[in-house]
Amino acid sequence: MNAPASSVTSPASLPEERHESIWGKALYKFRRDRTGMIGFTVVMIYFIAALGVWLGIWGTHWSDVEGPKWSPMSSEFLFGTNIIGQDIFQRAIYSTKTAFEIGLVVALLSTMFGALMGSLAGFFSGTWIDEVILWIKGVLDSIPFYLFVAAVAFAMKDNPYAMHVAMVSTFWTTTGRLVRGEVIKLRSFEFVEAAKAIGVPQIVIIFRHILPNTFHILLVQATIVFVAAIKSEVILSFLGLGVQDGVSWGLMISESTLEVLAGFFNNFIWASVFLFGLVMAFNMFSDALQDALDPKKVAAE
Amino acid sequence: MNVTDSRSATHVWLVSLVASLVLTACGNDTSPTSADSVAKPSRAEREGLKVYRHSMDGAPSSIDPVQARNVYSNTVILNAYDTLYAFKYLARPYEVKANLAVDMPDISDDGLVYRIKIKQGVYFVDDPAFEGGTGRELTAEDFVYSLKRQFDPSQRPAGAWLWQGHIVGLDEWKSDGSDYSQEIEGLKALDRYTIQITLIKPYPQLVFTLAQGYAAIVPREAVEKYGREMGSHAVGSGPFKVVSYDSASIVFEKNKKFRQEPVDIYFEGYNEATQKETGVEAINGRSPPFVDRLEIHFINQNPARWSAFTKGNETQFLLVPNEQVDTVFSSKNPITPNPEYASKYHMGWYQEAGLVFMTFNMSFPTIGYNDDPEQERKNKALRCAMIKAFDWERRNESFYFNLGRVFPGIIPPVTPEFDPDLSTDSITRDLDGARKLLADNGWTPENLPTLSYGSQAGVSQRLFFEQFRGFMVKIGYPTKKLKLKQYATFGDYSKAMANSELELVFKGWGLDFPDAQNTLQLFYGPNASPGSNDANYKNPEYDRLFQEASVMQPSPERTALYRRMNEMAIADCIGIMSLSRTRIMMWHKDVIAVPDREIVGGFFMKYVDIDKSLLPAGSKGK
Repeated sequence: MNAPASSVTSPASLPEERHESIWGKALYKFRRDRTGMIGFTVVMIYFIAALGVWLGIWGTHWSDVEGPKWSPMSSEFLFGTNIIGQDIFQRAIYSTKTAFEIGLVVALLSTMFGALMGSLAGFFSGTWIDEVILWIKGVLDSIPFYLFVAAVAFAMKDNPYAMHVAMVSTFWTTTGRLVRGEVIKLRSFEFVEAAKAIGVPQIVIIFRHILPNTFHILLVQATIVFVAAIKSEVILSFLGLGVQDGVSWGLMISESTLEVLAGFFNNFIWASVFLFGLVMAFNMFSDALQDALDPKKVAAE
Repeated sequence: MNVTDSRSATHVWLVSLVASLVLTACGNDTSPTSADSVAKPSRAEREGLKVYRHSMDGAPSSIDPVQARNVYSNTVILNAYDTLYAFKYLARPYEVKANLAVDMPDISDDGLVYRIKIKQGVYFVDDPAFEGGTGRELTAEDFVYSLKRQFDPSQRPAGAWLWQGHIVGLDEWKSDGSDYSQEIEGLKALDRYTIQITLIKPYPQLVFTLAQGYAAIVPREAVEKYGREMGSHAVGSGPFKVVSYDSASIVFEKNKKFRQEPVDIYFEGYNEATQKETGVEAINGRSPPFVDRLEIHFINQNPARWSAFTKGNETQFLLVPNEQVDTVFSSKNPITPNPEYASKYHMGWYQEAGLVFMTFNMSFPTIGYNDDPEQERKNKALRCAMIKAFDWERRNESFYFNLGRVFPGIIPPVTPEFDPDLSTDSITRDLDGARKLLADNGWTPENLPTLSYGSQAGVSQRLFFEQFRGFMVKIGYPTKKLKLKQYATFGDYSKAMANSELELVFKGWGLDFPDAQNTLQLFYGPNASPGSNDANYKNPEYDRLFQEASVMQPSPERTALYRRMNEMAIADCIGIMSLSRTRIMMWHKDVIAVPDREIVGGFFMKYVDIDKSLLPAGSKGK
């Protein structure tokens, strides 16, 4: 049977041959996930916005109070102004920096700490080290999350990093649990047995040979924690326990409680839209990443 | 997740977002429809009892008179307990009158000895604290005991400042160990119904102080039985008896033993031109209290308080939140109620008996007094520049809907000593003048001090700070050098002020009595932290004038001294001062009352009456 010309493909152009490593396969799979790519693009746009604020290119007038009270949306004030005449557009843009700052710091630290504790617990599974780490995780997990975060943030009220500490100290437990399970599986693999047999120190085995094999979990966990940190920040700031100096979407929503009864919604709407956009985009990105990095799915394909 | 699933999910999320926003917008319909104001009778009302439900924007810290430290505590205490004096229900300006006392005090010619006769046949409410559980008669000894409590450290008193240094032997009684069996020369019960107070020096405000919740009369048996529980268990002789009390509300029932004293509304200061609409004439000649049950609901959140008032009969009184001003008024200049609301509710407004202002803490060498005279001069220039940079007009517009009254200094318009002709330079924004002052005195963004601005935690307070910082940025103050320090509770914030921890203090002050001495004492040197002078202002001349005025009866001479002190405080640039807010109240049409939360405070509630027939058509009997 003749095949159409367009269906003839040379072996060299087959994707499987261009992406033989698991990371290559994952990247290829991720790039084919349109939802994931859209999410990633939106996250990048937010990231550029945050970078611009950080570099002082835009969002520099977020604290100015010279605008009229509750100005509607206009060419001068794109999203209108709040009760004290601050430009809501400037504040919403500035808040992306706040969100990324908190998201990145918390995601990075809690993932690193979770990886450390998880790998130690997993490698020394069944020993007192594992018992102690599991007990700490159990204790932290048994406390209602927002109650715990609020308590730590409240106890360290004057410290600008109180919220970060509170979140890191609770978010690492899930990462730790996942890494522990993975490490328990990996430590019985031949390459670990071989390393042990030739006398490689345990600490080297953990950090050089085992931990790199959990990166797919850490990467996915980091994106999940990033989103959770941003959402928690909004809630904590709304409760007055979050951002101390600066502005965030949570603070903007909190401010809007003074305004919605008077019929002014700009603060509420734009802070919600910005938050919604980033959280949804990150969730889409995170889901796609999870699919792409799932070793079972990647191996199957 | 595949692409199709993601799209579906995205659509669902987007639809949810739009729907929630639309619903939120729709939910903002706050107009008082007929259905909204339908009263749902409670069980007590179905039984034919009259119930008045009041709302307050905060909760009492305690209902023990010894700790009546805020307006909420005071309001509650004045309904459960008796005071010797009270403020007339309807008179404006405020006037004091005898309450438990038979008459105004008999004062010696030198103004030092006060004799006060109290009414006979006044009984405390029944309580297990009394023998047989039946309330006994209130006597002069009870007053003596109650005032002594304010000087007994074991009672954790909060009101001693009212009488400290005024009554012969009282301060010594405290330093000698607060032994209740020990008699005090200046505070005696001459017989069962006569009190004698002897002063160290004349104290013209003494009668005012005896109308405060701090001076309410408690029976010794109750204090000994309940101890610290007095903070939540009232045993008084006031018009109402406490039935239940928690963090959300306090419920009273009529004190059936309360003395029968028909109201003379003309004696109380009735003004037909301004008060006829309230229907208060209906209580003339009748003995209060008129309602069988009084409920006071503590609702901190403005939207919740608004909703409780407008959506039915959950509460019948509302102090209108600022953000609703444009809703309830169709015009603010002149003030014109929105007809829709005026047809549903009674509406009233008045200038508060108090003020809001900000002070610089003079004890900080970076902004206040300094051993180096040159630096002290520079500090004063900095303070004066910050005062010039502050925009009171914007503050009034942003937070008080242009209904506040901005005035120079610390003597509020509600007091008779207010000076309407005082220069307004200190409340007029002058950015060029401020910048010039800074430049002339060598201040640059680099050498300006970092200052902490204190406030209670809350979104309004944060915005107050952000606006203040925005004003200061205009004269070159770096954003990062003005720090906000928020405290979880008002108590924590008060403690920080008392400990002199903050360079900038924003605060409100409600007058305890209609006399400018009550605000001028905020800058009196001996009242420095931990006292009420948290600016820690120490000016020997100011203090001398204060002492001189403190023994004078109201007179033009005393007013002149008050005004000089006020001018000194302005000239020394010790604060960004001041604004008096306009209070706006609404109450249901079936409530016959002239509410007040200022000087009269809780005293008005015993005069409240309920008449369901006054409800607008369409909301009766449903």
